[in-house]
Formats: sequence, C-alpha cells, structure tokens
Amino acid sequence: MSEIHIPTLAPETIFHIGKFPITNTMVNVWLAIALFLILGLFLRKQIKLKPGKTQNFIEYFLEKLFVYFDQVTGSRKKTMQFLPITGSIFFFILLSNWLGLLPGTGSIFVGEAPLLRPANTDLNLTVAMALVSVISSHLFGLFSVGVFTHLNKFIQIGTFFKSLTKGPIAIFTAIIELVVGLIEIISEMAKVLSLSLRLFGNIFAGEVLITVISSIAVAIVPAPFMMLELLVGLIQASVFTMLTLVYLTVLTTKPHGSHDEEKH
Amino acid sequence: MFTNIAHASEVAKETAEATAESGVLASLGINGTLFIFQLVNFALVALILWFLILKPLTKKMAERQKMIDDSIDNAKKIETNLGASEKKYQEKIDQAKVDANKIIEKASLESLAVAEVAKEKTRKEIEQLVETARKNIKTEREESINEIKEQTASLVVAAAEKILGTKVDASKDEKIIDEAVKSMK
Repeated sequence: MSEIHIPTLAPETIFHIGKFPITNTMVNVWLAIALFLILGLFLRKQIKLKPGKTQNFIEYFLEKLFVYFDQVTGSRKKTMQFLPITGSIFFFILLSNWLGLLPGTGSIFVGEAPLLRPANTDLNLTVAMALVSVISSHLFGLFSVGVFTHLNKFIQIGTFFKSLTKGPIAIFTAIIELVVGLIEIISEMAKVLSLSLRLFGNIFAGEVLITVISSIAVAIVPAPFMMLELLVGLIQASVFTMLTLVYLTVLTTKPHGSHDEEKH
Repeated sequence: MFTNIAHASEVAKETAEATAESGVLASLGINGTLFIFQLVNFALVALILWFLILKPLTKKMAERQKMIDDSIDNAKKIETNLGASEKKYQEKIDQAKVDANKIIEKASLESLAVAEVAKEKTRKEIEQLVETARKNIKTEREESINEIKEQTASLVVAAAEKILGTKVDASKDEKIIDEAVKSMK
C-alpha cells in the first residue's frame, strides 16, 4: 500500500514568486481562470442571436439557473442585477470543485506538496468569497433602500429617538430592537463564518475521503465516491450561491413599516 | 557570511510572521498574503466570467427575448389589422352586393319602362300602318267602284246605243239589257 498523504488544513506552498508564496490551491484557481478565459474567448466569437450548439447548451443551463434564482429574488430584474456576483460565485465554485476531481489532483507532487488541490480546500479563498458575498449584499442594500434605512436594520437609533415621544412601551420596544440590531451585526459576521467554513469543510472532507479511498484501492473503488463528490460540488456551489442570493434579496428589500411601505 | 546573515534574517522574519499568525486562524491556513491573493484571484474570475461569458450571453438572450416579444406584438398587430381589413373587405363586398342589386333592380325597371315605351310605339306604328292600309283599301275600293260605275255607265251607254241602233222589239231590248247587266257582273 502506498503512503497516505492526507491533505493538511492549510494549503501547501509549492514555490515562491519573489517573496510571495504560491500554493497548490492557487494553481487550481489559475487553472479555473484559464478555462474560463478560453471559454470566454471562444464564446465571444461564437455568440450570435441565432445560437449554435454550445451557446444553446449554455443558455439552456443559464435559463434553468435563472428559474431557481427567480424563486429566491422574486423577480427576473433582481436576478439579473445580482448576476455578476451570484453567477461568478456559482460557476467558479462549481468548476473549481469539479477540477479537484481531475486525475493528478493530490497525486502529482512538487517536492513534498501535491501540485493540484481543490481550490475550495483553502479557507483563504472561501473566506474571500464569503466576504465578497456579504459585503456586496450590504453595498446593494445601501444603494437600494438608502443609507439610513439600511443602517437602521442594525443600529436602530432612529427608531429609539422616535419612540421617545410615544411613551414607555414604545421606548421599551425600541431598546429591545436596539439589542436585536446588535445581534444582527453579530449574525452578519456569522454569515461569513458559516459560508466559508461550510464550503471549506465539505470540499476538504471530500478531498480527504478521496485520498484515503484512493490509497486503499487505486481503481474502481474511488469511482462512486468521486461521483458523490461531483454531486457535492454542485450542491455546495448551489448552497453558497443561494445563500448569497438570499442575503442580497433580504438586504435590498425595504423592512416592514418603512416610510415607503407606509405610503403604499 | 552576508548571505548567511540575510538567510538568517529571512528565516527570523518568517518565524516571526508564523508566530504572529499562530493560533486558530493559522492552523486553519488563514494567511494575510494568501487571503489577498485569493481575493484577487476571485475578482479576476468574476471579471472574466462576467465580461467574457455571462454579460454577452445574457445580453444576447435579452436581445432575442426582445425580438421575440416584438415579433409577437407585431404578429398580434398584423392579425388585428388583418381582421379589420377582412371586416372592411366584407363590408365593401356587402355594400357592393347591395349596390349591384340596386343597379340590377333599377336596370330591370328601366328595361321594363323602355320595353313598355317600345311596345307602345310599335303598337302605335302598327295602328298607323293598319289605318293607312285601311285608308288605301278604302281608296282603292272607291276607285274600283268608281271605275266599275264608269264602266257600267259606258256599258249602259253602249248598250243603249246598241238598242237604239238596231231597233229591235221590246223583248229584244230587254234581252240586250240583261246581257249588258250580266256582262257587268
């Protein structure tokens, strides 16, 4: 039996460019970037009003995806508005997860570190994506509902001052809302943690599983697990994207009882 | 020696960095530099995906959708116009039929009137012809009678001359007259 090389939690540095370390997960990300670039340049020439086979297939896939997105956002307009963020997240996670199943991942070594490792087994990347997801949801929220309304969801000082003229019960409610607002701030931080750790945990666990199974039996036995990982890759991409979409939708929706809703 | 010092300083720096980042985050592989790198990588992916793939595709899909919507709207307009044209055409056809019937009715009445006039005219002409014929017959008859009378008179005169010239008796005279009369018949 060959030596089992269980992936470490941290990505392995395989070489340096100047002072900067280049990890095996970065190589995987660059591979994904290269593939997207090739596909993008290919599509750029191919995209027509009357679609060819490739364009037709991608458009069919996009249409199906938009239907799911619409169910969360409630409108195609919002789906299209969030697409630069959600589309990028979905396709990137999906491709990088599936790229982790390529032959050579975890088995080709540069020194003592494997050359390829699934990109999402790097917490730096998943945290980066989670931050982009949460911060962009706040930016969209700020521009959609206005600065005051958006900030009032977390620091409800406006509500507190308004309650001062309405009596003790209103003041008591406002104090509770102020505390709830602070809890909301903590929950925003939890969003980043949950998004990044969920994706990292699932993909890392899959990679460890495949490594262990491959070291026990090289052929045939890992195949069902790899099929499972294909599914996990899709599910994790969907979960991350859908949650991002939910955050974006919730923060771009005016809260109940806001001035605009009262007017209606 | 300088190389060794430089190497030692680098090792010391890395050790210091590792110490600073040690703890939960470092054990999970969180590293400031790598985080920035991965953030840039993700931004690059997002840019490529959006500008090279998703944006052109969605734009083309929207264009096609608009074209389909416009085509459907145009088809509806054409259908509406066609319906209106057909209605108008049918109205014109109905009007034409009504007009044609009126014209036929009028022509029929006019033809009847013309025929009546022609019939009356013909009847008058026939009457005139008959009258003329009657007049002619009457004239000819009168002329014939006059001629007969003249001839009879001539015969009577001739017979009288003959009677007077021959000096026959009364029975002879009567016989001659009878013969003259018979010859007249």
